Amino acid sequence: MGVKKVGAKPQTLVEKIFFLDFIKGLKTTIKHLWKKVITVDFPYEVVVPPPRFRGIHGLRTVDGTEGPEFDGWVKRLKIKPPEPGETRCIACKFCQAACPVPELFDIQSEKLDVPEDHPHYGLKVMTVFNMDLSKCTFCGLCTQACPTDCIIMTDIYDLSAYTRRNWVLDKDMLTQIANDFVARRGKEKFDEKSQWREDQKLWPEYDKTREKLWDFNMPRLGPNYQDQTA
Amino acid sequence: MSWISVEKAKKLEERFGYPKVSESKGVVSVEVPKDKFIEFLKFLKEDKEYDFRMFLDLTIIDHGEKEDPRFQGVVILFSPSYQQRIIVKTWALDETLPTLTGLWKGAKWAEREAWDMFGIKFEGHENLVRMLLWETYPYHPLRKDFPLEGIKDTYLPSLNETLRGDSLEGMFNYDRMHTALPTMEDLEITQKRRMPVKTSQIVLNWGPLHPGTHGTIWFLFDLDGEYVKQCDIIIGQLHRGVEKLGENVNWQQFIPYTDRMDYIAAINENHAYVLAAEKLLGIDIPEKAKWIRTMMAELSRINSHLLWLGTYALDLGALTMFLYTFREREKIMDIIEGITGARFTINYFRIGGVFADLPYGALDAIEHLIKDLPERINDYETLLTRNRIWLSRNKDVCIITEEDVYDYGLTGAVARGSGVPYDVRKIDKYDAYGEVEFDIPVGEKGDSYDRYLVRMEEMRQSIRIVEQCVAKLRKMSKNDPYFFQTPDEKKLKVTIDGRGMKLPAGEVYASSDNPRGELGFYIYNKKDGLKAHRMRIRSGAFYNLQVFTKAIIGRPIADAITLLSTIDPVVGETDR
Ligand code: SF4
Ligand code: SF4
Repeated sequence: MGVKKVGAKPQTLVEKIFFLDFIKGLKTTIKHLWKKVITVDFPYEVVVPPPRFRGIHGLRTVDGTEGPEFDGWVKRLKIKPPEPGETRCIACKFCQAACPVPELFDIQSEKLDVPEDHPHYGLKVMTVFNMDLSKCTFCGLCTQACPTDCIIMTDIYDLSAYTRRNWVLDKDMLTQIANDFVARRGKEKFDEKSQWREDQKLWPEYDKTREKLWDFNMPRLGPNYQDQTA
Repeated sequence: MSWISVEKAKKLEERFGYPKVSESKGVVSVEVPKDKFIEFLKFLKEDKEYDFRMFLDLTIIDHGEKEDPRFQGVVILFSPSYQQRIIVKTWALDETLPTLTGLWKGAKWAEREAWDMFGIKFEGHENLVRMLLWETYPYHPLRKDFPLEGIKDTYLPSLNETLRGDSLEGMFNYDRMHTALPTMEDLEITQKRRMPVKTSQIVLNWGPLHPGTHGTIWFLFDLDGEYVKQCDIIIGQLHRGVEKLGENVNWQQFIPYTDRMDYIAAINENHAYVLAAEKLLGIDIPEKAKWIRTMMAELSRINSHLLWLGTYALDLGALTMFLYTFREREKIMDIIEGITGARFTINYFRIGGVFADLPYGALDAIEHLIKDLPERINDYETLLTRNRIWLSRNKDVCIITEEDVYDYGLTGAVARGSGVPYDVRKIDKYDAYGEVEFDIPVGEKGDSYDRYLVRMEEMRQSIRIVEQCVAKLRKMSKNDPYFFQTPDEKKLKVTIDGRGMKLPAGEVYASSDNPRGELGFYIYNKKDGLKAHRMRIRSGAFYNLQVFTKAIIGRPIADAITLLSTIDPVVGETDR
């Protein structure tokens, strides 16, 4: 078992008389005197969050990139097959079941009010989807539970609000957030089947602000594993 | 391995007749009758063949209102000479137990906590007051008949939305009724009861909201001039009932709550919990997950130590240190954010592995970072280590002896600073720690300066471990699994999102070596279940903080800052 002893060594006389301890310390200080500023001037400058960033939630809409099991889930839960542009949510409440704070969700679905001979007779749609983000822990478990990849987490992190009411996002707001996010950065995060991309980057390399916090000495990103390609 | 063998425990059965030995997942526990409890523990502590000198934890299990006897006391001990642990249990008949403070002084706070949370009286305890809640609080919240959401008996409309009239309900507003809150009088009573006899004219209050306390800790110093004669600490301002939550949410769902204990090193908190849960499940996780977890845990340790160094130096007047360490810290946070999606409340580990593989470029960034770090740490050391002001504020200040380490159950850098090479990473060899090479730094004297040097060296050792992890991971394939794959979904279900996951009946204690000491989870499960019956969190910071009240005696008040910084507790973990 490797045990390494550390302990105090007394200051030598030379050190004491010539203030060597201070002089050496000052060397470090002087070294930093000519360095460039590394602080980011928020909010005038922002660092772009990485693709995996767990920010405010969104509800994705049907856009042709659903997973192969999507139709099966829609059928199983007797949901009206969504048109492109409509929400993917099938009101299965898996997200709520996986959430450490389940009471923050309010998910409801309703049977469609159509005559018996209508093809959608007896099918349901999701009508209410409220999330109280003041209770959310931003753990991401809901996104991992969702069978239709509907609920996602975006890169938006500023959720301060004046009233508690404003922390509760409804389904329209959530859908809008997801649409905006997917348009901006969907390609970076998801593949064509809405799964996380395999080559998801550690952080976006187009972001130049990040250089600052890395002391203008950024690492170059490459493959992790020996059989991974660039 | 790190537990007493069943054979050795059986010898106790032969010798005394009354102990009952049981084993579950490698964890050995001995049940003894209440009247023989102290005698038995004394034997375990003093006998050379057993030598369970070190106190790790004391807690209570509530078996439910209908059971008789209802409460059971649980003590976890460690033997430094044999590197083994043992659990000793006894029934708390009549809701009382004999005090252990005669054997281990460190049991003082644990017993107060047990009284606070379960209402178990400890006979012979010097001052059995509440630990986390205020003195006039009427309930004992960890009892099974206390509801999770608390008892809402206080009218408190002031939190409510008034902008749109007082009409919003449910999700959009707070309840008008709230659980009990302490009033000023309650706090005064609490403060008086904590320090019943004043020896001098003045009791100095430090905190609860003082920047030097790094959180909400409330210190009481009984002063004679500048020197401390008596000290007590009031904690609990950040108590959120994490143990109660652990008994009321599902297995994977508890991980985000552990993030919020030691928020400086959330990864390590996740780590300890998933280790305990995996032990109870009895699964072995994939190789890749082990190495990723080890690497992340060590990055988190460096991260945490950098924060400690910055604030510690800041408290002692070396302001620039803070700026230097936060520069490096930002890089680590940036990497962690890229890998896990969050900077602080990370929730990356899962029971069964991790929730996602490393993103493209992660290992490059980590390599880049650790190439640069040793030089940075040298920079910090040239600024501080030989500096005469630093030396005079730290050397020989607040010595913690080896004796104290065993008595108070001190772990982490505090124990190592006092010359005890206690390191759970070496004892348990969890995840990949058995396969990496690193040294345990130990101090000579146990003063603040030694604790400082130990942590500095720990950072260097962590860099060594990360290097080895990166090299190992490089050789792996992108297709290697990072999450446990069950051989039979029907029998054993382990899911990343945690839905429908059941853990078997049993009892385990597993811990990890956190930047702030040994964080252990004691899980007791009566039957297979979606939730734990008892989730005990042995907080290293809690026990380490306790020694503050002893080490500060006879020291000038200015040393309180140094001592607190070198003990380095995080309130989220002490209060849970
Ligand atoms: S991020 Fe976590 S806490 Fe928030 S809604 Fe999703 S599962 Fe719940
Ligand atoms: S898990 Fe997905 S599909 Fe199911 S209710 Fe939640 S958001 Fe909708």
